[in-house]
Amino acid sequence: MTDDDPGPLIRLYGLTGGRARPQGEAFDLVAIVATVHLPQEPSVLNPEHHTILRICRRPTPVADVAAGLGLPLNVTRVLLGDLRREGLVSITPPKPANQSIDERTYRDVLHGIRRL
Amino acid sequence: MEFAGFDRPRPSGGTLTATALKILVAGGFGVGKTTMVGTISEIRPLHTEELLSDRGVGVDDVSGVERKVATTVALDFGRITIRQDLWLYLFGTPGQDRFWFMWDELALGALGAVVLADTRRLADCFPAVDYFEQLKLPFVVAVNCFDGARRHDPGKVRRAVGLDETTPVIMCDARNRSSVKEVLTMLVTHAMEVR
Ligand SMILES: Nc1nc2c(ncn2[C@@H]2O[C@H](COP(=O)(O)OP(=O)(O)O)[C@@H](O)[C@H]2O)c(=O)[nH]1
Ligand SMILES: [Mg+2]
Repeated sequence: MTDDDPGPLIRLYGLTGGRARPQGEAFDLVAIVATVHLPQEPSVLNPEHHTILRICRRPTPVADVAAGLGLPLNVTRVLLGDLRREGLVSITPPKPANQSIDERTYRDVLHGIRRL
Repeated sequence: MEFAGFDRPRPSGGTLTATALKILVAGGFGVGKTTMVGTISEIRPLHTEELLSDRGVGVDDVSGVERKVATTVALDFGRITIRQDLWLYLFGTPGQDRFWFMWDELALGALGAVVLADTRRLADCFPAVDYFEQLKLPFVVAVNCFDGARRHDPGKVRRAVGLDETTPVIMCDARNRSSVKEVLTMLVTHAMEVR
């Protein structure tokens, strides 16, 4: 830890209880997070957890969740891990490119880019 | 702060059909990666400060606050909505060598990559070219024409970088939307052909 300005980092690690990365697998940046249940016991969650649940009422990639929270990716992943353990969100990893990107998808992407 | 998830239509098919595709934007420092992502993204280019701890070091056993964490790296990314349930994400890869391990994660399952090059410092793009060649990830080399003149010779760049004949080389202006569209179109077309 540097001496200069540890404040924000300490706050962030306070958020995750000192954990720098989630237990188990690291969620891919474009894994899709979806809120599947609302919490029974609100007090065990912090405000950031609630924000995630709100964002992910619409299925949202992990990178967008981090951006929406304004938090670093690894901190976001820890919080997502908490929510998944509580059964509140589902996190669907992306399929390998050769499965997720078929001919039609390529054409749709090309069309989408042209339309911009 | 804008919640990126809020301005999006609800995917009709739920999570099962929602797909986010990745395109990487790589190249040396100052070559125009952040600019390119910002030019084409439908959202204000977002970046997340990444916190890095020493890799492989268990942190849960450290009492109190993690001690090793001191480094942040900005990871910028943008989004293009293709369909209600299909998004294209552009990730600018971190330039510094010590963040190479992040590339592996970014590249996993990616559709392809844009390697930005500057003819004044062409060698800066070699590491990215080597990396994507090794990974067999489809990529195009986009020469960012800082001087505005499109007088660079793609053939010369191809030889200087040592690219094979199939890898497209294109001139671009990272600040120009239609130019960036052209680059992405070329990448997707190329990826489609070689897959
Ligand atoms: N003249 C010119 N300047 C550019 C172009 N693309 C980027 N720049 C400028 O070059 C600088 C570095 O670009 P940036 O996108 O931050 O590079 P990065 O380090 O690869 O993310 C910025 O000041 C940009 O405004 C371009 O096509 N032409
Ligand atoms: Mg940059």
